[in-house]
Amino acid sequence: MFFRMIRGAFVRQWKKMLMIALTIALGASLATAMLNVMMDVGDKVNQELKTYGANITVVPKTASVVDDLYEVEDGTSASSGAYLREDELGNIKTIFWAFNIVDFAPFIDTSAALYDGGEVTVVGTWFNHHLDLPTGEALNTGVHSLRTWWDVTEGEWLDEQTFSGEQGAMVGETLAKQENIHAGDTITLSTKHGSESFTVAGIFSSGDSADDQIYAPMDAVQTLSDTDGKLTSIEVSALTTPDNELAEKAAKDPSSLTISQYELWYCTAYVSSICYQIQEVITDSVASPVRQVADSEGAILEKTQLLMVLITILSLVGSALGITNLVTASVMERSNEIGLMKAIGAKNGAISALVLTEIILTGIIGAVIGYFAGFGFAQIIGQTVFGSAIEMKPFVIPIVAVLVIAVTLIGSVPAIRMLLRLRPAEVLHGR
Amino acid sequence: MTKQKMFLRMITASLIRRRSRMLVALLAIAVGGTILSGLVTIYYDVPRQMGAQFRNYGANMIFVAADTETGLTMSAAEEAASVIDSGDLLGMTPYRYETVRIHEQPIVAAGTDIESTKVTSPYWHVDGSYPASSGEVILGSDVAELLGLGVGDGFNATYSSGDDSDSDEPNLGVDMKVSGILETGGSEENYIYMSMEDLNALAGEKDSLQVVELSVSATQEELRGYADQISDTSGTVAAQLVKRVTQSESTVLTKLQALVFLVTAVVLVLTMICVATTMTAVVTERRKEIGLRKALGASDKSIIGEFMGEGLLLGGIGGLVGSVLGFVFAQLVSVNVFSSSITFQPLLIPITMVVSVLVTGLACLLPVRSTMAIDPALVLKGE
Repeated sequence: MFFRMIRGAFVRQWKKMLMIALTIALGASLATAMLNVMMDVGDKVNQELKTYGANITVVPKTASVVDDLYEVEDGTSASSGAYLREDELGNIKTIFWAFNIVDFAPFIDTSAALYDGGEVTVVGTWFNHHLDLPTGEALNTGVHSLRTWWDVTEGEWLDEQTFSGEQGAMVGETLAKQENIHAGDTITLSTKHGSESFTVAGIFSSGDSADDQIYAPMDAVQTLSDTDGKLTSIEVSALTTPDNELAEKAAKDPSSLTISQYELWYCTAYVSSICYQIQEVITDSVASPVRQVADSEGAILEKTQLLMVLITILSLVGSALGITNLVTASVMERSNEIGLMKAIGAKNGAISALVLTEIILTGIIGAVIGYFAGFGFAQIIGQTVFGSAIEMKPFVIPIVAVLVIAVTLIGSVPAIRMLLRLRPAEVLHGR
Repeated sequence: MTKQKMFLRMITASLIRRRSRMLVALLAIAVGGTILSGLVTIYYDVPRQMGAQFRNYGANMIFVAADTETGLTMSAAEEAASVIDSGDLLGMTPYRYETVRIHEQPIVAAGTDIESTKVTSPYWHVDGSYPASSGEVILGSDVAELLGLGVGDGFNATYSSGDDSDSDEPNLGVDMKVSGILETGGSEENYIYMSMEDLNALAGEKDSLQVVELSVSATQEELRGYADQISDTSGTVAAQLVKRVTQSESTVLTKLQALVFLVTAVVLVLTMICVATTMTAVVTERRKEIGLRKALGASDKSIIGEFMGEGLLLGGIGGLVGSVLGFVFAQLVSVNVFSSSITFQPLLIPITMVVSVLVTGLACLLPVRSTMAIDPALVLKGE
């Protein structure tokens, strides 16, 4: 009988049930979409913030006496003789947080004479270098993705893999103007160790000192400066977690941590722990966070996440109230039916069970539809804003399920109790 | 007159007698209104607030001398900066670089306005403290390591004017004290920073700066406009954008704005449909009443008019309550996330009320009309 009544309710009152299911579906889809977007927004924004370039620089330990100081004094670069080793570069992708290393590029700079004898700084680096890792994986990395703010005003980005011609180079805008260099020209750079000619692939404008420099493939610059297999610095762009107290303490001195703190720190993607891990794999190196990028990233990430959390809470409360409201309204509407059932002798328990089962069944149907609709909404947001899919977190399902059931119960129980208190004669009389 | 009175009485009576149901409807509308006004306020405020966060990246515009002969003076820079809206100009820091000798090592010293570096370079990590009195300096961490100096240590700095052939009378230098060690992960670590007065005392008075850093709260286009205007009008100052900061900021900020926009749109549409279904449910319940009134001879127009009147009243009240609650919510978000308050948009109150009334009216109209299309006898019979 119980099931027949329930089935009857769904068959005969399908319109009403559809309305309830629709509202619950709307609420559930809102909750699903917002929860998913909220949980993924950190990763997505973190990716976007990579446009600011590297957040970690690695330099040789003993190079603390940086040539900057001497450059100012004598106008030439007097390298201190300390270098990083090129063959260790791949190690960066083998650290604990290797997955968080988005890009990296090695740098070696030297000064060379352009044809007319003018001294220029030549930076050897990777543009989009293909690298086979010791782990068997392969990746393409280099300055192309680390210098997103460069405007290539003439020609195009140097593509290391497909560049036809001898050797490519990219020239800064200021220098190009000064020396009247254009894309496609051939320039010859010479040092006391030899000379190399390059075909200019592109002219770039960067808005900083790189505008006066020439960027060339690393091998050629190493030949020019007689530093085969050596590097002056490495820039690393990594996805990091905003610093907290623990990270700050660890950054000063990792040995001051207790073992459990150390493990927590080492296994969290703080910029300081990633630096520490890079130092472990690159001999005699000092990896330090670029404060300008790392700190700002942390601040923006935190704010965005907090903003999304609050908007999510608002929409959760909104959808919860929406569902509660509709459920209350639709239960109250049934005063006649409940009065009649009471009049022919139904127990309060039986009536409550009947109404609740109906509503919860409708709620489950609505929630399932809503979950998938919400999945769709989350994908729309992800694709439109970030151009990539939003990852579906499995634990959103129980949260949405609990939310829907709780909200349905909260919406229906007080209404049912209120209706049960009414006297059947009055209700049926139509008051 | 009596008709109007009756109309009013019916509306108020239905609101008062059916208190619990009306409360449900009102609550639904108020929630919708809260979400509408809250999210729209946030949507309009986010670019400004987020823009302020992006100023963490530091200076986004620099002034350099247009002509290396004449150099750059602080007064010229200040005059050039007057083009920028004073509310948008957050900070302006002059830098004068000189090579000084400390322990016979050549070190680049920067004279600057220490207070304003906190605005234009907020990412500086200073171990110890910023200089409080004259003679105190901040040492870049590389310099500190090179010289073996720590916080609180004193040292003697001398200035060798340009080329040594000038053979100045031997200068005794100035005694200075390290108040903090600077860590940035960038080239700043190779310099020492001191107040402009200290550098003037050490290296001689000279009203010439190498660079002035500015932190301006503006979009990339606005900045470019400012830079062009300054470079055109001022003969001595050339303004340049720090491309790395401005370009990246505009990329990321556009994304964030799009995110908040889409989220707002999705939440609003879903919430409004939710409000509409609730209203529909509340109205559908009154089919019998409509049938009875029709049977008693009420015209379709008067019935629709009455329901619309109710909807209007509910929508208006709900919208008003919602817009106030929405502002409270937006304020809460702003204080918690950005720790700054939000400006109240008075225009949002009528907008929220109008949207609420429209949604409620539409949600009432559909079931009322469908009920009226049916024969009153059937409705009253309960079929």
